[in-house]
Amino acid sequence: MKVGDVFGYAFGAIRLRKLRAGLTTLGVVIGIAAIVALLAISQGLQVTITDQLQSGFATDTLVVSPGSGGGIFSGAGGGFGGGVGGSGSDFSLLVTDTQIINEIGDVVTSAAVIQEVCSVQSGDHVVTAYVVGVDFAVYSEIYSSTFVAETGEILLNPDNGTAVVGKRVSDPWENGTVLCNVNDSVDLVWTNTTVRPATNETYPVTVAAVLKEIGGFGLTGPSDYAVYVPIGQAQSFFGTDECDRIIVKLANEDDATIKAVSKSIEDAFGGQVSVTSSTAVLSIVSSIFSTIELFLAGIAAISLLVAGVGIMNIMIVSLMERTREIGILKALGMKSRTVLAIFISEAVIVGLLGAVFGVGLGWVLANFAARVFTGGGFAAATGQAAASGGFAITPVLTPTVLLGAFGFGIAVSVVFAIYPAWRASKLKPVDALRYE
Amino acid sequence: MTAPLVETADLKKTYILGKVPVNALCGVNLKVEKGDFIAILGPSGSGKSTLLNMIGALDKPTQGKVLINGVDVSSLNDNQLANLRQSIGFVFQFFNLIPRLSARGNVELTLSIAGVGKNERRRRAEELLETVGLKERINHKPSELSGGERQRVAIARALANNPGFLLMDEPTGNIDSKTATEIIGLIKQLNKEKGVTIIMITHDQQLATQAKKIVKMFDGTIIKEIDQQ
Repeated sequence: MKVGDVFGYAFGAIRLRKLRAGLTTLGVVIGIAAIVALLAISQGLQVTITDQLQSGFATDTLVVSPGSGGGIFSGAGGGFGGGVGGSGSDFSLLVTDTQIINEIGDVVTSAAVIQEVCSVQSGDHVVTAYVVGVDFAVYSEIYSSTFVAETGEILLNPDNGTAVVGKRVSDPWENGTVLCNVNDSVDLVWTNTTVRPATNETYPVTVAAVLKEIGGFGLTGPSDYAVYVPIGQAQSFFGTDECDRIIVKLANEDDATIKAVSKSIEDAFGGQVSVTSSTAVLSIVSSIFSTIELFLAGIAAISLLVAGVGIMNIMIVSLMERTREIGILKALGMKSRTVLAIFISEAVIVGLLGAVFGVGLGWVLANFAARVFTGGGFAAATGQAAASGGFAITPVLTPTVLLGAFGFGIAVSVVFAIYPAWRASKLKPVDALRYE
Repeated sequence: MTAPLVETADLKKTYILGKVPVNALCGVNLKVEKGDFIAILGPSGSGKSTLLNMIGALDKPTQGKVLINGVDVSSLNDNQLANLRQSIGFVFQFFNLIPRLSARGNVELTLSIAGVGKNERRRRAEELLETVGLKERINHKPSELSGGERQRVAIARALANNPGFLLMDEPTGNIDSKTATEIIGLIKQLNKEKGVTIIMITHDQQLATQAKKIVKMFDGTIIKEIDQQ
């Protein structure tokens, strides 16, 4: 019997039992859709998060934080560390420590960062933002593509009392109401908790520049949600010579340089600092996502296996119903392997249909879920304004996922059909014909 | 001298029903020559269906041999048996058509099992259905056909691959007497005009008299052979 005729016969048998075949296929559709949707969303999320990390996070930089275990991420641990300055030791990183770092080979320059949370007030409007003290000249050299003024000018030797604000500080609500523009005066209100009782201290500054929009989390680099003041000003505001971290710009961004400089810096501070590279952070994110994807794919695969058991169950029932038919086919001279091929073909057709519709449904689900995520809820779907802070996920369907879902769908269908098909092929014609 | 078309030698078949062995065939010796029309006559349980299954390579004997064109059926493997069955035309009492296929589809199925191409099998199916008088009913499914019509489809199907011989298991057992007369007429015509060898089993004495030769069976043995020519 020719291959086309085998498929034709199998297809005819499926068409005869439309509802049953439809329900069997639905099982595969759900399994494949779950795999595709979950992977498309998680890969989309990974791309989004990686992009967000990369924006405002130059790949040729290192971040030096005080404390051996407490970087922004602890690089060696492979997971998220204790947060900014999270170690319990007495070690402090000083603003002047940049001089030590600058003497290390392959270091172009470094910038100390002092960061505190403040309220930014202008008239009746208040937003919460980071006040970040940096050396504008060095900082703009390190982040030459992101620490850039949209309006106004970032002076390299600014006067005290001037500030550069992030886009979301200038225009926090994106609805036409602007908190501050260039040349406006704003008050930075910092709650000093180092004295008792804690007091609010107010520092008026004049906005010299508004940064162009950066996007992203601004984990270590420039952020849309920060107010930048000269480092000396920050030291006097917050009464400290300690800095939260030092950003180091490297001569090049290859792994060897990153490792060598990281080691030199750690040694220079007697192992009391942790050094994180942006590539390390990205690889951590990537490995976290790989684990998540594996986990999600595993869960989805279970639903596909359930569908496989469904296929097997249906085929065994079908086999009983069609015992006589198999007897007839064998009496007409059909070979056992052709009977096997017919049953396997039926499973292939179910698997293929399930995979096609499953990928389609999965893609639709992923896009729907992405819209819900992006809008921070169902609001987006109904056309209301997206909440700021929600971030856009574009589902990603890689050829690997596509082919994998197809292959897995068909493979599961076929594997679970092998036993019933084998049993069908082994039926003795005389017994099968006698079957009532 | 060429070997007979079909020959059985001391053919025995024992079934185990529960724990009791039942001797369905107890040493059957039968020769069928090309062009024969043999009616195997006997009551229920005489072993005639078992004999037919052995000759049709649907079942294997416990002892003895079935030779078809001189080839011992027991020596054939699964694939060779399938090929052999393609050269035998079966007609069953209960028609055994595939319900979802049309009359033509049923005939074409046999041809497609033998690997015949699409156009050729369509042409041949239509020709065969015309031969059995069903030219106007080729697109009807078995459920839309009468018992007689279904058996005609079954005969057309059995003839599809130009078989060496037809095996008929009570071909008129499930249809009314008027239609049965028509069917037996068709069978006789096939034997006479086209030279098709026919082995038919029946318990109907009247029907058996239509054959060239009657083989009477009882309790798993041939008790009498009557040549009617």
